[in-house]
Order: sequence, then structure tokens, then C-alpha cells
Amino acid sequence: MKLKEVDRTAMQAWSPAQNHPIYLATGTSAQQLDATFSTNASLEIFELDLSDPSLDMKSCATFSSSHRYHKLIWGPYKMDSKGDVSGVLIAGGENGNIILYDPSKIIAGDKEVVIAQNDKHTGPVRALDVNIFQTNLVASGANESEIYIWDLNNFATPMTPGAKTQPPEDISCIAWNRQVQHILASASPSGRATVWDLRKNEPIIKVSDHSNRMHCSGLAWHPDVATQMVLASEDDRLPVIQMWDLRFASSPLRVLENHARGILAIAWSMADPELLLSCGKDAKILCSNPNTGEVLYELPTNTQWCFDIQWCPRNPAVLSAASFDGRISVYSIMGGSTDGLRQKQVDKLSSSFGNLDPFGTGQPLPPLQIPQQTAQHSIVLPLKKPPKWIRRPVGASFSFGGKLVTFENVRMPSHQGAEQQQQQHHVFISQVVTEKEFLSRSDQLQQAVQSQGFISYCQKKIDASQTEFEKNVWSFLKVNFEDDSRGKYLELLGYRKEDLGKKHIKEEKEESEFLPSSGGTFNISVSGDIDGLITQALLTGNFESAVDLCLHDNRMADAIILAIAGGQELLARTQKKYFAKSQSKITRLITAVVMKNWKEIVESCDLKNWREALAAVLTYAKPDEFSALCDLLGTRLENEGDSLLQTQACLCYICAGNVEKLVACWTKAQDGSHPLSLQDLIEKVVILRKAVQLTQAMDTSTVGVLLAAKMSQYANLLAAQGSIAAALAFLPDNTNQPNIMQLRDRLCRAQGEPVAGHESPKIPYEEQQLPKGRPGPVAGHHQMPRVQTQQYYPHGENPPPPGFIMHGNVNPNAAGQLPTSPGHMHTQVPPYPQPQRPQNGWNDPPALNRVPKKKKMPENFMPPVPITSPIMNPLGDPQSQMLQQQPSAPVPLSSQSSFPQPHLPGGQHFHGIQQPLGQTGMPPSFSKPNIEGAPGAPIGNTFQHVQSLPTKKITKKPIPDEHLILKTTFEDLIQRCLSSATDPQTKRKLDDASKRLEFLYDKLREQTLSPTITSGLHNIARSIETRNYSEGLTMHTHIVSTSNFSETSAFMPVLKVVLTQANKLGV
Amino acid sequence: MVSVINTVDTSHEDMIHDAQMDYYGTRLATCSSDRSVKIFDVRNGGQILIADLRGHEGPVWQVAWAHPMYGNILASCSYDRKVIIWREENGTWEKSHEHAGHDSSVNSVCWAPQDYGLILACGSSDGAISLLTYTGEGQWEVKKINNAHTIGCNAVSWAPAVVPGSLIDQPSGQKPNYIKRFASGGCDNLIKLWKEEEDGQWKEEQKLEAHSDWVRDVAWAPSIGLPTSTIASCSQDGRVFIWTCDDVSSNTWSPKLLHKFNDVVWHVSWSITANILAVSGGDNKVTLWKESVDGQWVCISDVNKGQGSVSASVTEGQQNEQ
Repeated sequence: MKLKEVDRTAMQAWSPAQNHPIYLATGTSAQQLDATFSTNASLEIFELDLSDPSLDMKSCATFSSSHRYHKLIWGPYKMDSKGDVSGVLIAGGENGNIILYDPSKIIAGDKEVVIAQNDKHTGPVRALDVNIFQTNLVASGANESEIYIWDLNNFATPMTPGAKTQPPEDISCIAWNRQVQHILASASPSGRATVWDLRKNEPIIKVSDHSNRMHCSGLAWHPDVATQMVLASEDDRLPVIQMWDLRFASSPLRVLENHARGILAIAWSMADPELLLSCGKDAKILCSNPNTGEVLYELPTNTQWCFDIQWCPRNPAVLSAASFDGRISVYSIMGGSTDGLRQKQVDKLSSSFGNLDPFGTGQPLPPLQIPQQTAQHSIVLPLKKPPKWIRRPVGASFSFGGKLVTFENVRMPSHQGAEQQQQQHHVFISQVVTEKEFLSRSDQLQQAVQSQGFISYCQKKIDASQTEFEKNVWSFLKVNFEDDSRGKYLELLGYRKEDLGKKHIKEEKEESEFLPSSGGTFNISVSGDIDGLITQALLTGNFESAVDLCLHDNRMADAIILAIAGGQELLARTQKKYFAKSQSKITRLITAVVMKNWKEIVESCDLKNWREALAAVLTYAKPDEFSALCDLLGTRLENEGDSLLQTQACLCYICAGNVEKLVACWTKAQDGSHPLSLQDLIEKVVILRKAVQLTQAMDTSTVGVLLAAKMSQYANLLAAQGSIAAALAFLPDNTNQPNIMQLRDRLCRAQGEPVAGHESPKIPYEEQQLPKGRPGPVAGHHQMPRVQTQQYYPHGENPPPPGFIMHGNVNPNAAGQLPTSPGHMHTQVPPYPQPQRPQNGWNDPPALNRVPKKKKMPENFMPPVPITSPIMNPLGDPQSQMLQQQPSAPVPLSSQSSFPQPHLPGGQHFHGIQQPLGQTGMPPSFSKPNIEGAPGAPIGNTFQHVQSLPTKKITKKPIPDEHLILKTTFEDLIQRCLSSATDPQTKRKLDDASKRLEFLYDKLREQTLSPTITSGLHNIARSIETRNYSEGLTMHTHIVSTSNFSETSAFMPVLKVVLTQANKLGV
Repeated sequence: MVSVINTVDTSHEDMIHDAQMDYYGTRLATCSSDRSVKIFDVRNGGQILIADLRGHEGPVWQVAWAHPMYGNILASCSYDRKVIIWREENGTWEKSHEHAGHDSSVNSVCWAPQDYGLILACGSSDGAISLLTYTGEGQWEVKKINNAHTIGCNAVSWAPAVVPGSLIDQPSGQKPNYIKRFASGGCDNLIKLWKEEEDGQWKEEQKLEAHSDWVRDVAWAPSIGLPTSTIASCSQDGRVFIWTCDDVSSNTWSPKLLHKFNDVVWHVSWSITANILAVSGGDNKVTLWKESVDGQWVCISDVNKGQGSVSASVTEGQQNEQ
């Protein structure tokens, strides 16, 4: 493809490879006249600006020369350090002169551009070449067999390579060897080539085919192979390129006969030794592989001969050719379309008329058609063989899990240029681990969690703590795992019960020494003074009056003492009056303590006293309000305190067991971007979560947004270090946050084939590969190709996983056309198969906790059809049905086309993706319209489900005898708890628990539980019998941590609630 | 540590030009001058040849996996001027689409972030970049940027999907207002950034100039939730630059020289967490680089045949010469 052209009849030289930008120097060629017969000469420099799409070349400088040139070369040798342009222009003139120009001076517009000049040669200097090893060495050739070697540092006195060859002849070409720096070759129109050894200062070999028809117009050494060179012949009778190997110099190794007439110039690419350019009198420019003779490319040229052709040293795809029609053209051999370029030219021509509507017709003229350019060459094909410089030999790419994929193509130096097949083509997959400390700490944390060795872990952390704060945090965390945690918290805050007690006792003793001994007689005065009045009141049993009198007389102690005798109500009133009157510093504290108003302390204490406030809360607060109070204090510290106090809020959150707030607070204070600082946070969070699980009966499996983000960031980091399993372990279990679900899916799959029996069915995608109608995770779906084909593909039974659904709403066009009416939406849903899959998000135990009334269970076990078992759906709440159907909303992007169609303009596929999104956000409002539209009309998978399952459900199997004990034990325990539980909240929890344990009983009926789980359950039952609930809880933890989540998720959390309650109530 | 966990003998009969793992890191796609594309299952250190895809009539330069939410889809580009999209269905891989819209070697293919749908950018030696968008029913819509890089585009790389003005996911249901961008590098020594206008046309948004020779590869770093955008570029001139832009709206990019190598640098690749850059050079050298706390890029590993040690921390890593 032609890139540029300049209208000059000139010799050309590219700037050296190291020069940037790329310049092309042109010097008016000798012995050629154009129609003007002008003998003016000039030396010009153009810049090759490929970012400019036009065909014009930017002229940088013109220098009017008194010489015309036979040869022009641009050597890299820098003779003058000034200027940005490297090298020196060396010109061979008509009268035996060699002129050195400074290109930077030419570009600068300097008048004095000639560095040196020497006219030692006789006759025109047609041959010039720069030694690529010593760039100060230039060889030149002229008439009379003259060859000189010029040292640019000592230009005055040239050397000769040896004695002149006889008979004297013109030297038409000269070339330095590309491998051995002291070897030079010259050739003459007579067809003889001579190789010179400059160390020996003599010709060492003469090359000639004795045909007398080789008329050497070109000579080039092989770029890689020292002993090979090519000679081109200008003779029309022998228009060939001969490839010679000096190891066998009696005849050419290969003869390239691709030109029909004599060859005028050749150029061998330094970038790819398989590319040799040649131009001839047949008006062709060919690019051939001299090693095979094959023509790889024919440049689209006009019908003119080219007399000079040059590769651009810097840009290997670019070449320039000078033709006798007075034009220098720059081409790319990579092909490409010339349409864009031609268009520009046409525009230029049209607009050059200035007026697009010269005839005043009101219509602009159509663009000028240029017939000759609409020829067949509008698309130019590239080289037949890709050039070496675009063949990428090496690569290293990262992939998921910190893996690095590398390959390299190390080649044996190929002497014959052809054989390179011995190489084995390997790709290495490597694991990159850069964060060793991070990994080892993460490992320790995991071990602590697995071994439940929390106390020792915390202790280690305390010992290793660098700062007081860090130490505090770990001490607080540790306390969580110890008995009497509140007392220990107090100690940590600097309050020791015993210490206070001792102090107090001491004071008491001292006091008692001064007390007057009681025991004597006393008289009861009933006089009219205040004492008397009180006495009267007392004698009449009128405590209230007595107290009032005391208060009136400011006898506070008496008033209180009397009030105590007067009963609760009076006491309370008296206390109030007392507090109203009293103004001492600690009154508010006392007030709070007596009135049990801890909130007051927490809300209004001076934040400097946060420790005291926390201590008070620790001492007095009831279990059910404790967390909230700690929370409140923490929030105040965070919002109102200075930076120091803000960090202390972490301690409050630890006491409160509020993981989410701890994360928020910590993140605010620390820079979380470094893996180790994230590790710092995660360690605390994980330990705190464990503590909360152990100490509080609440379900900790809920994960807040912030925590989830941090945990997934952490999991990502672990994954990036190749710790896929660890990443999975730390990833929050049950959340329907799409990024976490995606990560989980990615991690699970990245793990490769899961170990038998330990699957990761928590990912929704896995589920879609399940055979239809079969509940629970299924083993044996790991056949690789199968698994891979099915995921995501909308083959009807394989809807897109919800994890990706968030991203489904990407088509900006389609999103706008979404049907917005729920009714419409609903009508769209049925055509799609309804997968049973996304139970993850919906069937989480936490979700159930939050909406206990909307009782529901995994769809695997219950068809969304008319209720068959009262136990299964005791509330008969239609919403529960709807909730079960909703997860089936994610529909394949398209069931009829082979690809998902997020971009389908119609948008009807698209809305299917949208819908679940809305539901995730606000299930209740979405369930309503569905109730109206969908009653009992499930289709697709669900439908099959319906057909296969109801029969089983209607007649429930009995629980096997050996497992019946489980049911009776658990039910009995719940009953016991219920009878001793007092607050309605607990009762509700227990009620719910008893219902939800039906899942377990169902599984027992079906005998689908693994033996390890059932035996574990029996162990728990035994521990219940012995009332050793803590042991039961330990076993519970063991089961949960070793079993498959989906297998146990329906009942294990609730079993834990029961055990914890039982433990608390001590039944 | 960089340690080989799997050595895959590809049995390619000529040079390998690209090797890419799928989204999960369980399958490896390779392509070669022998005109074939191969897919291996490499789980658990194994190497099972799943597919040997023939269809190109010239050396295959690059392969690219689409996001699995669209199925198992692989794109390949070749010197034969074609882009082929391969798809697995029912366990067999087949040619799904052939794009023959280029006039010269297609050197690079890159899938857009999955949030945009199935969009493939292709850079060619004809100087053009084409964008193929799947429109459903087996149809692909083609947009072409002509003369993107004179005499050739060598690399294309998409910007991660980030919604302007918000680093957090938008509330579900709302259509995210993504701005699609990608970077390209070419034989005009330039890196160009392209942006899709509201009318769906692609417009040159920025020219990044620092290289003095062909840009061989560009790699837009994955988003890690920070407002800074980062691009790595490498060139025939041996230089690797890290370009950063702190403010997308002003769109000012500043280059930082990572290193000047003695040979052409062919390929740059970011780790998933965007903190390590793998650089592959013409002397068959692979090096890993990481930014130190003071913002300097430090070589943390020399990888040879997939093996290498990693300096314990960035501060101990050898500073790059100069």
C-alpha cells in the first residue's frame, strides 16, 4: 500500500534506525534530466509522519546543492554532537567527489551544511556503504577499480582494501559484510564480484558465473549468514538474482528468476532475512524470499521503472522506491486499503476548484472522479508470509488465581535459515506468589478458626502487638472467649471488682471505729419541732408525710431510709425527689444506676469518660440491651470524638459484637489498600464473628454490605496469590450480593475438579447442571466438557446464573424499552423455563430469620403447588409461595437463539434479566402482582418438578426408627425451652425452630442425609440428653464446618438456636 | 515465588504466538504460526486437548476468551486477515462467526467488559480497528474505525467498566450509564484512546505520545475501585510506560517510564488485582514489576521457563537501573 509520495527525481536515503522521527533524504540524481532540462540540484529532507493520513510528505529542509548525486547514504555516525538528528549524510558525486553533510544542520536551515568533501576518486562515485560495526568506516567505489575506505574521523586520507583488481572496471556496488566487520564485497557491471579482507588488505575470493551476462547492479550480504550474498543483474538477457555462498563459490547456490527484464536495484531487509526487494526494467517491484526464491509480494506500482529502492531501517514495513518518472514513493508491505487515502485526494481535487457550485445550479458538483485510481488495486494484500517482525515470539499473561501463562520460542541459530522445527512448543503455567507474609498470616488465622484455638491466637496477637491500641483490641477480642467476659472487659478498662471491694471494706472498717456504740436507750420525742412531727407521722404509719418532712428538712438519708420502709412506690418517688434536689458531681451516674437508665449515661457522658461509661454498661446493662448500648457509645465516639477516640470506638463495637460497625470504623482509620492492613482487619473481624457466634445466640451468618466487600476483597487477594481454597473459606457464605456470588463461582471452578464428596454447591451455577427434578447437590456432574457447555448457556434448561444478572442490564437501548407494568412483566415470564436454582439468595437461613412469617424452604424439597402438607406451610401464606417462585424468575437471555441477547433491540429478553433485580431489591412489592397473575401456573422446570414430586409429599414416609430419637429429643427440648422461656421473642424463635426442624425430619424420612451428618446429629441428641448443651454446640459447629452447606443449611442454624436457648435457659 | 505448576506440551508445529486462560483459569487456549488454535483442559496440572481448531489460513496471532456468561466463546485473529469466533456447543467447538472485514493481518482481539454485551475489538495492520457487536440471532454488527493507526494497529485493550461519577454499583434496575472506552497501539508509535459517543460512533479521545517506535502492546489495568485509570504500553523501542489518569473528566494522562529494555517488548499483562505487570521481551525474557510505596516501578522477578524467585518485598527489590 502506498503511504506517501514526493515528486522528485532523486536518490534517497532513510535516516538511521536509531533516529526518531524518521526522515528521508533525497538528492537530485545525476545523469537524469527531466523535461525542463534543469541542472539545478538540491538535497532535501522529508519527515515520514504516518499519523498524517495524506499522501504528502512533510518537507523539513531543502538545501541547494552544486552537485548531483549518484549515490546517497545516511550513516549513523555522529560527527557533530549538536542537533537532535543523528548521523551523517554521505553523497557520491559526479566528479569523483564524496561529500559529507550534516543532516541536523540541513534541517536547522544552516548555510554551512557540508562537513567535509574529498574528490580523490576519478569518475562518478556510484557505490557507497557504511560499516555497521564501525560506523565511522565508509567504503566507496568509482571508476578504474577504485575502492577507498574512509575513516570519517580522518577524512583526508582514505585507505584501500588492497591492490586494484585488473583489468580496471567500474565499481557499481559495494557492501560491508553484516556479520564480519572486516569483510567487504564489491561488484562491477562486468559481472564480477570481489570479496576483500581488510585485515589481510587483499581480495580473498572472486565470484563469477563466467556467463559474462551478469551485469551487476546490486550486491547485498545476507543479514544473518556471513558467507552468503546476492548479486543482481541488470542485463535483460539474464535478469536474475544469484545467491552465492562463499563456502561453495564455483556456482550460485540459487538463482531467482522472477523478473522479466534487467534488475536495477535490490535491498535486503535487515529485519527479516527472508525479504529481498528488487525492482527491474519490467517495472515491477518484487519482494522475494532469497532463501527459497518464492515471490512473496508484488508491489502495486505504475508502469515506470524504479532505479533505487530502500528499506526504512527504523520501520521494517516501510520501503521507498524512486522511479524514472520523477517520483519517490513510500510503501508499506503490510497491505491495507487505500480507500481512505484516495478519498482524501479526491476531496482535495474537488475543493481545489474553490467553488463547489461553479454553475450556480444550486447543487454542488459531485466529487471529481479519478478514473485511473478506481482501478483494481483498491485493496492491497499483504505479504504472503508474515514478516518476522510481527511474529510475536514470547508472551506472559496473567490469569485468575495468580497464575502466569508464559511461552517462549527459543530457536537454535538456524544456519540454513529453514530448519527450526526441533523446538518443542511448550506453554508454562506458573503460580505467582508475592505476598508471603500475608499468606502465612492468613494461614494462621485459618488454623485458629479450624482448631477453635481462639484464645491462644488472641494471646499471640497480644504478645506481638506493636501498639497499645492493637494490644487493647486483641485483649478485648480475647475476652470474648473467656468466662465472665464482662468482668474481664471491666478489668481491661481498668476496673477490678475485687479492688473496689477491698477499698470499700477498708473504708467501712475505718468508719465503724468511729460509730458510736448503739444499744443505749433512746427517747421518742413528739414535740412540735420537725423531729416531733416526723415522730408523729411515723407513729401513725404515715411514711409519706414522714418522708416529705425529712425532705423538707433536707434530711435526705432519713428520707430515703424511711421511704424504703414505706414501700417501692414511695421509694421511687423519693429517689426522684432526691435526684431533683441533689446536685453533686456523680448524681447523674447515681441517677442512671438507680433508675437503670444506662442509655442516659451512654448518650450524655463526656466522651473522655467513654471508658467509665463502657464500664458502667458492662457492669449493669441487661444482656438484651448490652449490645445496643455498646453500639451507641461506639457510634458517639466515632461521630463526635477526635481521631483518637474514633479508633477507640472499635473497642465498643467489639464489646457489642457489631462486626459491620467494626469494619466501618476500622476502615475509616486505616489504609486498607495494602494486603497486610487488610489482613489486620480480617483477623479481627473473623475472630469477633466467631466470638459472637459463641457468646450470643444470634445468627451471625448475615453479612453486612461493608463486611462482604472487605471479605471479598480479602478473598480476591488470597485468590491472586493462588490460595483458592482459603479464599473460598473466607468468602461470606450466604449472601446474594452478586459480586460475591460471582467470585464464589469463579473460585469454585478455578479449584478444578472438586474433591469427591466435598462440592461447592453454594454457587448457583452449579445447580443448573443438576438433572431436573432431583433435589440436592448431585455428584458426578464434573465431566469437564459437559459442565462447561452448560453453564450460562440458555439452552432452555440453563438459565443465566443470578450472579451475573446484575450485569445483564447493560444494554442502554434495551433498558429504556423495558415494560414497566408488573402485569406485563408477568406475562413475559412464563415462556421461559423456571429454574429451581437461585435458592442461594432466597433460601438463606438469615433471610428466613428476618422474615420468619414468610416461611419457606428450598424448592428442591417443595414444589410450589397447592400445599400438601400442613407442616410444610403452616401459615398458608400465599406470599411464601410467591417467594418460592420468584427465584425462578431469572430466565435465559434467549431460548430460541443460540446466544444470550443482552443487546436485542426489542428488549423482551432483556426485561427477563431485569426482573429478578427488582425482586432482589424489594420482594414483597413484587410478589403481589405475581399472586394475581400466576396462581398455580408454574411451567418449565418447575412444572416437571410438580409432576415428579407431589406424590412423594402427600404420603410422607415415616422417619426411620433409628432416627426417630432425633425428632423426639429435639422436640422435647423445644418444649422444655418453651415452658421456661418468658419473653415472647424467645418463644417465637422456638416456635419457628420447631417448624423449621421439619426440614430435618423430611431429610431423615428421605434418608438423604450423609451418614456423618446423621451420626453427628445423634451425638447432639445424646448431649441434649445429658443436658450438656455446650458440648452439643461444639458438635454442631463441627458438623457445619465439615458438611456440605446446602445439605444442612435448612436446619442446622435453627438447631443451633435451640441449643443456645436451652443453654441459656438452663432447661 | 514463580513456580511452574503445569507444563503444557501444545504440539504446535510452529511458533506459539499467544496463550490465554479462560475466566476461571481452568482452560488454556493457544495459537500458533501453524494456523491452529488449541484448547486444553489444564485443571489439576493436567493437559487434555479439548479442541484443535482449524479455519485460519495464516499464522494465528491472538486468542481471547469471552466472559462465560455468554457461553464458551473464543475469538482468534490471524495474518489471514480474518477474525474467527469459535463457540462450544454440546461439548464440541465450532466456528460460529467469521469476520473478514480487514485488508491486512489482524493483530489483536479483545472482548469488551461483559457488562456491555458481546463486543469484540479487532486491530489490524490495515490501520483499522473494527468493533463487532453481537445483536442476536447469530448476527454481528460491525463498526469500523478506518485509519486508526497508519500502517497498522498492533494492540487493543478495553477499559474496565466503570460508571462515571460512582464507584459503587448503581441501584439495581437502573441502567448503568457506562462509557465505553478502549486503548489501541500501533505502528505510528501512538497509543490512542477511543470513546463511544452517544450516537454510537467511536471517536478518538486522546493520543498518548511517548514511544519512539511501534507500540507493540497496550493493556488497560483492571479496575480495583480506585478513581485512577492505568494503562501499560510497550514498544519496539524497548520502553514500557505506565500511563495514569487521575481524573477521567479532564482526561490528562501522564506517562512514567517503567523501564527501558535492550530489546523489543512484545507484551504487557496486568494481574487480576492490577498490582503486578508481566512484561515479555524479545530476548525471551519475562519480568514481573510492581509499584513500590514511593511510586517507583520495581522488578520483583525474572521469570525463565516459568520459574523465578520473587524479591521478598518491593523495597528489597532491585531498583531498575536508572
